[in-house]
Amino acid sequence: MATTLDFRTHVDQSCRYSEEFVNIYYDCMDKKRRNLTRLYLDKATLVWNGNAVSGQDALAEFFESLPSSEFQVHTLDCQPVHEQATQGQTTLLVVTGGTVKFEGNKQRFFNQNFLLTAQLLIFFKWK
Amino acid sequence: RNMADGGHYYNEHDDRTAPQYRSRKGRGGHKGRSYDRSRRDRQPGSHSGGFGGPGPRSRLADMDEDVAMSDNSQDSSAQHRFNPYGRPIRKGGDGRFDRRPGKGGGGGRGGGGGGGFRGGRGGGGRSRSGWFKVTIPHGKKYDKQWLLTALQNICSVPYRPVQFHVDHNRAHFYVDDSSTAHALHKCSHKITDTDGYKVEVHVNPSAPPSSLVSDLKPEHLEHLKQCMAKRFDGSQQALDLNNIRTDPDLVSQNIEVILNRKTSMEAVIKIIEENIPELTCLNLSNNRIHKLDELAELVTKVPNLKTLNLSHNELKSDRELDKLKGLKLGELWLNRNPLCDFFKDQASYIRSDGNDLPAPIGFDVETYYSIYDSGDRQPLLDAYHDGASLSLTTPYSTQNPSRSSLGEYHKDSRNLRRHKDSTLRYRLLKHTRLNVVAFLNELPKTQHDIASFTVDVNTYTNTLLSFTVSGVFKEVAVDGKSRESTMAFSRVFVTVPAGNTGLCIVNDQLFIRMATTEEIRRAFVAPAPTPSSSPVPTLTAPQQEMLTAFSQKSGMNLEWSQKCLQDNEWDFNRAAQIFTQLKTDGKIPDVAFIK
Repeated sequence: MATTLDFRTHVDQSCRYSEEFVNIYYDCMDKKRRNLTRLYLDKATLVWNGNAVSGQDALAEFFESLPSSEFQVHTLDCQPVHEQATQGQTTLLVVTGGTVKFEGNKQRFFNQNFLLTAQLLIFFKWK
Repeated sequence: RNMADGGHYYNEHDDRTAPQYRSRKGRGGHKGRSYDRSRRDRQPGSHSGGFGGPGPRSRLADMDEDVAMSDNSQDSSAQHRFNPYGRPIRKGGDGRFDRRPGKGGGGGRGGGGGGGFRGGRGGGGRSRSGWFKVTIPHGKKYDKQWLLTALQNICSVPYRPVQFHVDHNRAHFYVDDSSTAHALHKCSHKITDTDGYKVEVHVNPSAPPSSLVSDLKPEHLEHLKQCMAKRFDGSQQALDLNNIRTDPDLVSQNIEVILNRKTSMEAVIKIIEENIPELTCLNLSNNRIHKLDELAELVTKVPNLKTLNLSHNELKSDRELDKLKGLKLGELWLNRNPLCDFFKDQASYIRSDGNDLPAPIGFDVETYYSIYDSGDRQPLLDAYHDGASLSLTTPYSTQNPSRSSLGEYHKDSRNLRRHKDSTLRYRLLKHTRLNVVAFLNELPKTQHDIASFTVDVNTYTNTLLSFTVSGVFKEVAVDGKSRESTMAFSRVFVTVPAGNTGLCIVNDQLFIRMATTEEIRRAFVAPAPTPSSSPVPTLTAPQQEMLTAFSQKSGMNLEWSQKCLQDNEWDFNRAAQIFTQLKTDGKIPDVAFIK
């Protein structure tokens, strides 16, 4: 965690990272479904309408089983997660909302939230 | 390994810039809502400046400011050290690592032929060192083995080529003897290559090859070790080798430590390995580093390394970074390297090993919402961490805008898709529990259908539990009658373990939309629960009085006054003493006095 940065900077950065992430995530979800599991940690858990799916294999199977999708993200919010929860490992809470149409189903609202962990942040620009 | 024994070279580190309200003997008891940690959120740069690229001295300045809190004795010998540049002596170090008897490091190949460490550069003229550089003008095209063997076959004396390398079209190597050089020179035009051309051999006197010159002798290694000790911050386990080549201690001893050379880098790594293998931060900025081959050793030798600063160097390709695979870094600074020009300005996420030790603790959702619906949300203060964050999002709705009750929430809605201005985005995030609860208190009174709730646990570790609560609620008019609008919400909580109360909230994200017809139909089937009196403890009347008095006397705002009193068991005099002491020491930040 970049402890040298103040809270404001964390917030600014987390906004940028979350926007980037969300673009990638839903693009994968809609168009490159097989790549989606790469965004999940080996031990990640996905909870879908109360059903938990854990681990890369199960996740891959799960995403494979979903019909093709068209997500429209209307709302996006994010917060830096407090360091006490993550023992200093930079983590973001990202929350999305919008509509989704799965093939063969009618359009529905959705809400989704992610906890993103950055194990490695590579800094290319100095302020 | 006990870093604390006789550890003269580091400061006892415990939140140097945060006010300590307890009389401190080591770390005080742990409360879930750790006061000191939460303060970090509001103090810019509460840790010293970190590793900038240029500007190595900024770190020194920070460390000097903290000297007053230091427990370690001054090292008088350091103060009398040769210090021609007037650089302030780092109080943290006494110039010795001395955790293990230093093995000095192998002398290896002694520096070739006299000439010392500042051997003349460039060819021409007599070489004091007795070295000669042999150049084959079009040597690049030849197989090295073929060339060297062909030369040996016709050369009248055996020769030992040193530091064979290719530069543009030329091949070079060094020999350390004039008669050998002469003999090689005579081989010019005697060999015909496969294209029919004659191989030319040029010979010139030269400085010793750099690979040998930079070999550091044992006494130099000792100086280097001391120099590094001074640049080591034990409290942060951080080593600052920014621009080490120009360090006065090395320059004054004519020691060349040039980190883009294999031998220098290896020497440095060896010293780290032998003395400070628990290093977590390494600053190698400003050292003209272009290859990371030697740094690959860090994986095994410095396994705790978390921050590596390679900014302001000469890294040209991201493939160099592959050599760092295996290092479980948290931060890698690469700014001001040629390779940056090839990357867009974005961060990369790379996977890590998650450590999941399940320890789920219950959070009482019912209690939270009964307070939430009670008409006064102030008691929720105890549910939140000092450094908690909250934000609210509503979707933009074009349906029935005049009838929509979302309007009450809409003005505070934080939606990064709609708001692009960073200041606005920042403002819409409520931060610190006082602000969070103050904001919640301004939201319309509600009645939640707790029976309709679903609670999903998103994830948990031994320090974090995140769950999502979804359901519906109605807005309640002040006179107690329900309004017509029913709304649906989805709320993500991130909580941390907190003392004896179980959990407290560090992140809270609330999404609200209008309920669907189906949801409205199914909602509130059971009789709505009557709000119960809050079981959450609040301040007693005497405590309230003490708080007001303390705030008045100290000038601090209620939040800080309360914390000071709480930390001193509501002993007014003791709290006052501690406060006065800290205030005199200038340890209380301005924000404490903002009402």
